[in-house]
Amino acid sequence: MRAFGNRSLVTTLAMSVLAFLYAPILVMMVFSFNDSQYTGLPFNGFTFRWYEALFRDDQMLTSIWNSVYVGLGVVVISVLFGVPAAIALDRYEFPGKGMFRRIVMLPIVLPGIITGIALLGFYLTIHLRLSLYTIMLGQGTALMCVTITEVFARLQQLGKSQAEAAANLGANDWEIFKNVTFPGIRSALFGAMLIAFSISFDEIAVTFLLTGRENTLPMTLWSLLRREVTPEVNAVATLIVFLSIILIVAGMYASRGNANEREA
Amino acid sequence: MTTGIELRNLRKLFEGHGHASWAVDGVDMTIGAGKFVTLLGPSGCGKTTTLRMIAGLEIPTSGQILRDGQDITDQPVTDRDMRMVFQDFALFPNMTIQDNVAFGLRVKSKRGKYTEPQIQQRVAEFLDLVHLKDHAYKKPHQLSGGQKQRVSLARALVTDPKVVLFDEPLGSLDANLRKIMQLELIRLHRELGKTFVYVTHDQDEAMAMSDAIAVMSQGKVMQFGTPREIYDRPANRYVASFIGHAHIVDATVDSKQADSLTVRLGNGDRVGVRGKADAAPGSAVGLMLRAEDLTFTDTAADAIGGKVVDSLYRGEYVEYVVALNGNSGVVHVHARTDLPQVAHGSTVALKVNPAKAHVVVH
Repeated sequence: MRAFGNRSLVTTLAMSVLAFLYAPILVMMVFSFNDSQYTGLPFNGFTFRWYEALFRDDQMLTSIWNSVYVGLGVVVISVLFGVPAAIALDRYEFPGKGMFRRIVMLPIVLPGIITGIALLGFYLTIHLRLSLYTIMLGQGTALMCVTITEVFARLQQLGKSQAEAAANLGANDWEIFKNVTFPGIRSALFGAMLIAFSISFDEIAVTFLLTGRENTLPMTLWSLLRREVTPEVNAVATLIVFLSIILIVAGMYASRGNANEREA
Repeated sequence: MTTGIELRNLRKLFEGHGHASWAVDGVDMTIGAGKFVTLLGPSGCGKTTTLRMIAGLEIPTSGQILRDGQDITDQPVTDRDMRMVFQDFALFPNMTIQDNVAFGLRVKSKRGKYTEPQIQQRVAEFLDLVHLKDHAYKKPHQLSGGQKQRVSLARALVTDPKVVLFDEPLGSLDANLRKIMQLELIRLHRELGKTFVYVTHDQDEAMAMSDAIAVMSQGKVMQFGTPREIYDRPANRYVASFIGHAHIVDATVDSKQADSLTVRLGNGDRVGVRGKADAAPGSAVGLMLRAEDLTFTDTAADAIGGKVVDSLYRGEYVEYVVALNGNSGVVHVHARTDLPQVAHGSTVALKVNPAKAHVVVH
């Protein structure tokens, strides 16, 4: 790295970027253990009080569960519809295929508020009662494109010859899917599921418009924050940070374990 | 009834992005049972598409495929019982070598045909046949290219098909490994007595292994014959120039005898050619001269004259590039390396082996 010149300068720059990104999160984590009513200095001592409060707070617990429930539903919807769509795109020629491939990404590009308004109008028109299920449906249809694009990209990368070899050896369509196609896309699918879940988990624009009486976690946090940043909010955020790290590491391991096996 | 595979006026149209072209354009061919037949040609000549149509992986636009006299044109790929060896091996990466080979024995359509111990035994037997006994529990990514191709071969052979199809199976291997695998394939063909249909763009490979070669170009078969026929008696200029180091010199038929003819080059030199040709005296033909059939001679009589313009030391022989007198063409001459070196610019006389010189009409 001679061309890059000053090594210590590069290191300093890199460290400052990391600090800029992660210092606030670190501060938040620290304050979640601070024995004080207010978020801020001085640090009065270490406590698990806010975590205990969190696990006694029914409203918070319900909203966490609602978020998880919606996230899982979104994952199910996006897999159920996304995988067949990706396989169809990869394998078959049909009219409008090129168009479909391009507009399938639209829900992710469009601002969430637009998607939300459109879906809200649609649901009201067909008299669908707003609930957690309308959120699932709304996010699921939007996030399906993550599964479609991830799985489609993997299928393209895998190529046709393994499936052809299986057919040539006498395997029927189901045997080909079970033994060749599914093992090939497994890690991409897992990655897409993680992405869909985590986007759904902190989605607020679509959720805000489509929710009924129940609240998801981001909505609850947001309404709490309108009053003040309580240490309890810090505690729940800290837990989510750890959960995210676990999911990211799991995702990385899943795709790494598969990388060798993909090409052969 | 013909045994083996018969292709009747087979055609395949490829459409895409607004234009369509015939990838295979009227192929007629009979591949005898138990033969080793090679489809040879440059990329895009339709050889792989023809093979894929035989396998059932591609649906012909028109024409027929017959197997032992039965029309199998519309039979699905899963029922054809012809096994294919792919260029990229197409092994199942998530399965062990053993499970890869056993795959064709465990599919539903074969259920009940073999018990699990029989499958184990058969797989072991065929892994042994391709010298991979010790690798049974490895995954494909742990093997080298040559080993992967042998797994692919075992996977095809283990189901005991009558026909094995090869799509450039040695294309991704290095030169030494190719030579070894060629010998392996010849051995397997001899020992197993199955029909091998083989696709390659490598003429040496085709010559060395095949009972018969179909030279293809632009979707058509240019010549179908034994390697010797194709090399010594090419049917047309295309085949003559595609196979071996041949140079074609424009000539005119001078006179015709019962089983030989004399042709005259542009510069007036005459060359005697043994064999028959479908050309009347006075008609324009191409005289095929191969580098190994030309020798330098001291006598000008019955020889063609030229001038050495280049020489390349090839190790096995010295290759001279000779421009014929009167601008009538360029030929290459392979000379033994122990003969005295011929200097650039020297005037030379070349003697043509009349048994090997050949005239192409088209």
